[in-house]
Amino acid sequence: MKELKDLVAVIARALAEHPDKVDVREIEGQNTCVIELRAAKEDLGKIIGREGRNAHAIRTILNAAATKLRKRAVLEIIE
Amino acid sequence: MSVIEIEEKSVEDAIKVACEKLKLPREMLEIEIISKGSSGIFGIVGVKKAKIRVKLKAPSYETAAEKAKEILTKILEYVNLPTVVEAEARQDHVYLNIISNGSGLLIGKKGQTLSALQYLVSRMISKEFGQNIPIVVDTENYRARREKTLQELAKQLSKKVKKAKKPIATGPMSAQDRRIIHLTLKDDPSVRTKSKGEGNMRRVVIYPVKTAGRNQKNNGRRQNR
Repeated sequence: MKELKDLVAVIARALAEHPDKVDVREIEGQNTCVIELRAAKEDLGKIIGREGRNAHAIRTILNAAATKLRKRAVLEIIE
Repeated sequence: MSVIEIEEKSVEDAIKVACEKLKLPREMLEIEIISKGSSGIFGIVGVKKAKIRVKLKAPSYETAAEKAKEILTKILEYVNLPTVVEAEARQDHVYLNIISNGSGLLIGKKGQTLSALQYLVSRMISKEFGQNIPIVVDTENYRARREKTLQELAKQLSKKVKKAKKPIATGPMSAQDRRIIHLTLKDDPSVRTKSKGEGNMRRVVIYPVKTAGRNQKNNGRRQNR
């Protein structure tokens, strides 16, 4: 079963300079699941993008994927 | 794109060094030989080093299309939908078409999801090739449909503007959408279009042009996107 956190991981790794340091965890609740994303300090900016454009795009795709699973998903990028 | 110059004993050596330095295969480099160099007489007199200039070759759209297809397919694997991606290198962009079950999930509200996918894929491609390659992601002919709706909207609004003789603004729109509005009304001399606002709130304002007594002042009209 492909999980939402893998979706985030694939995208984040493609954007990061140090893909090995990207760590994604999924905390599942009743309807909502929170996805926590950690990465190397210098990569955080790359993942978030200018004015949060990358992060915004990741969240949009994540929401689409979550809708399909009848869930809600929240992406938290943790410093 | 950056250009580097390398001096080595022979042209072959220089090319080798260039590939190692840039960590790229030879096929991706554009090599210009400045001087071939010579080993001189007995390697003592008149030794001249070979010099080459190396540039990153513009990747062909075919290569980019293949790579983009791979990336998009990989992302879509994690969305719980059966999808197939088709890639096509077009004249001025790479066109990716997602074939799916037609639920509209991948389009999202006002094409949000589709734009997000397109944005991320182009970011990844530009990172991979070190330069920007325009990429269009489409599904169920959405882009063409959207273009048609926007053209209709532009025409309707311009009619209103002409009637009311007052400027009218569209809702907030993406750069792509605004471009279509500008292009639709480009050849209409009785209105003028301009983009206004910042960031996500940018919109197109359509102004009426007073034609009486002015000799076609709108020839040098700016095309603000």
